[in-house]
Amino acid sequence: MSHQHDDAIEALLRKQFDGPVSDEGFSERVMRLLPPRRQRMAWPLWAGVGMGMGACWLSLLFSPLLHAGWRNWMRGELSASAFALLLAIAGMSLLASWWSMAEADDR
Amino acid sequence: MADNAAEARVDQSLVARVLLGNDRRAFEQLLRRHQGTVRAQLRRLLRGDEAAADDLAQETFLLAWRKLDQFRGEAKFSTWLYRIAYSCFLQVYRKRPWPAGDADMDEVEPSPATSHAVNLQLDFERGMQQLSAAEQTVLLHCVQLGLSHDEAAFVLAMPLGTVKTHATRGKAKLKAWLAAWDETATEEQTP
Repeated sequence: MSHQHDDAIEALLRKQFDGPVSDEGFSERVMRLLPPRRQRMAWPLWAGVGMGMGACWLSLLFSPLLHAGWRNWMRGELSASAFALLLAIAGMSLLASWWSMAEADDR
Repeated sequence: MADNAAEARVDQSLVARVLLGNDRRAFEQLLRRHQGTVRAQLRRLLRGDEAAADDLAQETFLLAWRKLDQFRGEAKFSTWLYRIAYSCFLQVYRKRPWPAGDADMDEVEPSPATSHAVNLQLDFERGMQQLSAAEQTVLLHCVQLGLSHDEAAFVLAMPLGTVKTHATRGKAKLKAWLAAWDETATEEQTP
């Protein structure tokens, strides 16, 4: 089909279309029907975060690596276990920052 | 194009005002900006049934209000609204037959013209009735509402290739339907 024919058909289609409808009280009617907006509940998110942290703490509670790392870090000794602990904290902070920035960008 | 981008930014900021500040006035602005086109879309889908179209448009905006936090800005706000409106239309008409066109226009052969422009337009309306529902819907969104093929695919939840095929096929059928007008015009031009 030629472009000229396409243009002619499209022109006829546009001519046949009446275009946007004038308001005539429609918006007011809809606004009167709007229910109050429900705020998104925050507690499931924080409950999830709390449970996750609790599960991590429980699983690492009896790990000698964590205790050794923490002890060395407090003494200022950069041992392998202290270094692993630092890396884990840095990685989690980076993930949290990335998540916050992605959420902010979506807004 | 720049206008479209500016309009989209205005919509985005209004949406943000509703979501962050629970601002009903911002939603009212969104409603006033888009009600005309959404109602026009639904009137075409419902073949001019204004009351039913307005009921569906009302349902569309109430749904948009409730689900506004699901609008992530990947599509334009107007496109997102068209999609909700089309889903509302499908939900109502999935179990019922597709709204019928004007009965007088069915199965009428193209007639010789007396008043060229009016008859051409009437004949074009008859030609539109010959298209399948999908072809009519795609042409409504792509040509009359001015959406791109990508946007129409999003609104109609169709694969992009299917949208393009329906658009091309619909235009080809209309061209064939109106072929007699080309011949008449050629005969009138030759002495």
